[in-house]
Amino acid sequence: MNLDWNVVWTNRQVLMEGVGLTIGLTVATMALAVPGGILLALMRLSSNKLLSTASLWFVEFFRNLPLILVIYWAFYVMPIAFDVQFSALTTALVALVLNVSAYNAETFRAGINSIRKGQMEAALAMGMSRRQAMFKVVIPQAARRILPVIASTWISLFKDTSLVSVIAVGELAYTSMQIRAQTFRVLEMLTAMAALYWLMGYPQAKLVDWIHKKYGVKE
Amino acid sequence: MDVDFSPLIDNWRFFASGFGVTIALSVISAITSILAGLVIALLRLYGPRWLKPLLVFYVDTMRSIPVLVVLVWIYFAFPILAGVTFPPFWAALVGLTLHIAAYAAEIIRAGIESIRPGQTRAGLALGMSRAQILRKIVLPQATIRMLPAFGSVLTMAIKDTAIATVIAVPELMHRAETVAGQSYRPVEVFTAVMVLYFLLLFPVTRVVDRLYQRLAHLGRS
Repeated sequence: MNLDWNVVWTNRQVLMEGVGLTIGLTVATMALAVPGGILLALMRLSSNKLLSTASLWFVEFFRNLPLILVIYWAFYVMPIAFDVQFSALTTALVALVLNVSAYNAETFRAGINSIRKGQMEAALAMGMSRRQAMFKVVIPQAARRILPVIASTWISLFKDTSLVSVIAVGELAYTSMQIRAQTFRVLEMLTAMAALYWLMGYPQAKLVDWIHKKYGVKE
Repeated sequence: MDVDFSPLIDNWRFFASGFGVTIALSVISAITSILAGLVIALLRLYGPRWLKPLLVFYVDTMRSIPVLVVLVWIYFAFPILAGVTFPPFWAALVGLTLHIAAYAAEIIRAGIESIRPGQTRAGLALGMSRAQILRKIVLPQATIRMLPAFGSVLTMAIKDTAIATVIAVPELMHRAETVAGQSYRPVEVFTAVMVLYFLLLFPVTRVVDRLYQRLAHLGRS
């Protein structure tokens, strides 16, 4: 067995682009999935039966599917079924946002429900509108409580971005596997890929633990 | 758009066996993960001191790298290092177990630690050995508390088996890719498979939710 670790160094530029795209996808997905989740949670909590049922089905549907299947579906079916043409990167983003929004919706709903009813009633009694009470009283308190859960979702999202490599989005996993296919340096490239994910993921996992310790709700 | 479901009907045996592989792989890896997780949790709580940092490192590593990376590394890179090759199914089982066991270990450790230390002290005061206390007092109570979380491990395993398609495990997702590619009918195939996965996962998550509601009070002490 002869190993040639130089292959990692010579391809550093492409690998770094992959790393950049992995981070970019994570940030962009979360940036869209947080408002998406809030919207779905508010729909679910609204008194309009149609809105709340629609939100319930959306959330249950996307929570009960493997993400890789959602990615394939978005790539092959969505363009034909809805007659839209997206780039692979946009498709990946759509699939990730659909998935993460569903999880976020449950998190936000649980967070809003965990704020006692009296708070909303007090705000209404002070003459605030329902919307004001929601955005000025309930959501700011809920936000702090759900921070640990969002942090956990963040780290699984970070890892899940690797799945979009199946539709040839050039993030870290795809890039590493492309270099592996071109150079036949299997062990080196796959180990480098694992190491790069580890280098990024490990500090995040530790940060999540810290957030859990600091903001976690104790029963 | 014309819709043609005939590739699905013509290949139903092919899909059914893929579905079987998905279920087998999910159930077996959920079981092996829980068993491995139990061993890891017990070693972390009661094992020799030098082992603890290693186990913490293992758990945190599995939490920080994607399961896809674990699977491709085990299937493509490990054989070069060790000089042995696994069939895809076994590589997937090993990879999924390595990954999910880390989560199972955390669930089990939290379950065991949630049993108040007074109970252990009471057991010691009665003259029981540490092993007896674990077997007769701590684990039975902790198991009830952990049951709903074990359900989550199962749903996690079912969803992760779909990722095993990247190392060509002949499970449902891989079969879908094959048939979609051969028949040029990705819309029908992927939509049908989506429904299949939903029908498989929805009852499981429902049962898990029920378990959380039903068993929560039994876990109190």
